[in-house]
Amino acid sequence: MVRSSFILGIVLFLITALFNYAEPAPADLAGSPYHRHIIYQALILFWIGIIGLIVIIVMKLRETKRIQDMDVHKDAEDAPFLD
Amino acid sequence: MISRRLEDWITERYDVEGLHRVLRAKYVPSHRYEASYFTGGLTLFLFVIQFLTGMGLALYYVPHSEYAYKSIVDITAKLNMGWFFRSLHHWGAQLAIASLFIHFFTNLLLKAYRKPRELIWITGFIMITVLIFFGLSGYFLIWDQRAFTAIRVATGGAGNLPLIGGPIKIFLRGGIDVTQETLTRFYAFHVSILPMISLIIIGLHVLLVQVHGMSVPISQKDKQGKPQPFFPNVFYKDLIIWLLGIGVLATLAVIFPAPIGAKADPMAPAPENIKPEWYFLFLFQTLRLFPGQIAGLNGETIAITVISLAVLFVFLVPFVDKRSSAGKPSPVYTYVGVFYLVYFVAMTVIGFLD
Repeated sequence: MVRSSFILGIVLFLITALFNYAEPAPADLAGSPYHRHIIYQALILFWIGIIGLIVIIVMKLRETKRIQDMDVHKDAEDAPFLD
Repeated sequence: MISRRLEDWITERYDVEGLHRVLRAKYVPSHRYEASYFTGGLTLFLFVIQFLTGMGLALYYVPHSEYAYKSIVDITAKLNMGWFFRSLHHWGAQLAIASLFIHFFTNLLLKAYRKPRELIWITGFIMITVLIFFGLSGYFLIWDQRAFTAIRVATGGAGNLPLIGGPIKIFLRGGIDVTQETLTRFYAFHVSILPMISLIIIGLHVLLVQVHGMSVPISQKDKQGKPQPFFPNVFYKDLIIWLLGIGVLATLAVIFPAPIGAKADPMAPAPENIKPEWYFLFLFQTLRLFPGQIAGLNGETIAITVISLAVLFVFLVPFVDKRSSAGKPSPVYTYVGVFYLVYFVAMTVIGFLD
């Protein structure tokens, strides 16, 4: 699932680069040092980062819930240290 | 090593473990409408983004009628990533207001205002007013023709309120007409007075939410699941919503950069088909429903009085809806809430399409 999302992201990234390469910047961005294709590529990378973070958070949340459901989330006060 | 020493330094002086205990003890109710709890957190997050992007823009903006427009053009065209920060600020405002309206209507329909949370409702309601005025004052700072005309119309509309309208109009404009004095005042409101008021009101609102805990809808009192710990469960969910929020915000900022029109000319006629910002469209459409004269009285004054009374009713709803406060279902106020929501959405859509 993660792998296919990653491949899809790369494909979208390249398609955007192909279609937007060397196009003039939109009127609202005239004078901006960033061209349109770079901006859109950066946006796709940003979304890949966001989706990656969300996947990590969801995994962490599931793990937390699993431990809470086992009812072992409270530290036993007399638990021995395993150094 | 350094981090350990820093941790020891802090724990010697402050009760960090006490803070951990408070966080661990905070639980959030679990039921079918629990998604409504995330609307407040999203609004707060967007508000923080507004503060950060606003601070960046304030470094370059010049609050003078001669240079304000040029400084905005320079921020957009010359400053590295300036257009992006300006677009983030522009779209952040739209999303924050939209998120706040969603927060408002969900709490109105779920009767979260009922006893003992009246003050939470009142502080939230004040925040809506503050945020709308934030939007209005920020819109004017661009100093383009649309913004200039919009402020002339908005402050003129406020002037139609009976008795207090005239003084309010003069106070907002800093004189008889919209001039440099108005820009100075709106700048002061936008970057100083309103942020200070918002910090106080938001702080109070969040504090009261902590004191009373999350409201559970009356219909869900007996259908609740196991409460979830705020930290980390609900906090992780909040993080996901915030990440999606910032993703949508960045996408809007990139695909639809913040617009800027021609420089304001006080002597020029108002542009054709001018419309206010989307959150004023329902008021705009309501004003258009009223004729110019009703029984010899000014129609606009009557319209603004009716709107003000309708807003006042919602403001006071925690004190009027006695059944909810007694923990009983109050379907009449659900219908009232649905009416307000449908009216707001319908008038906004009609105003947008018209």
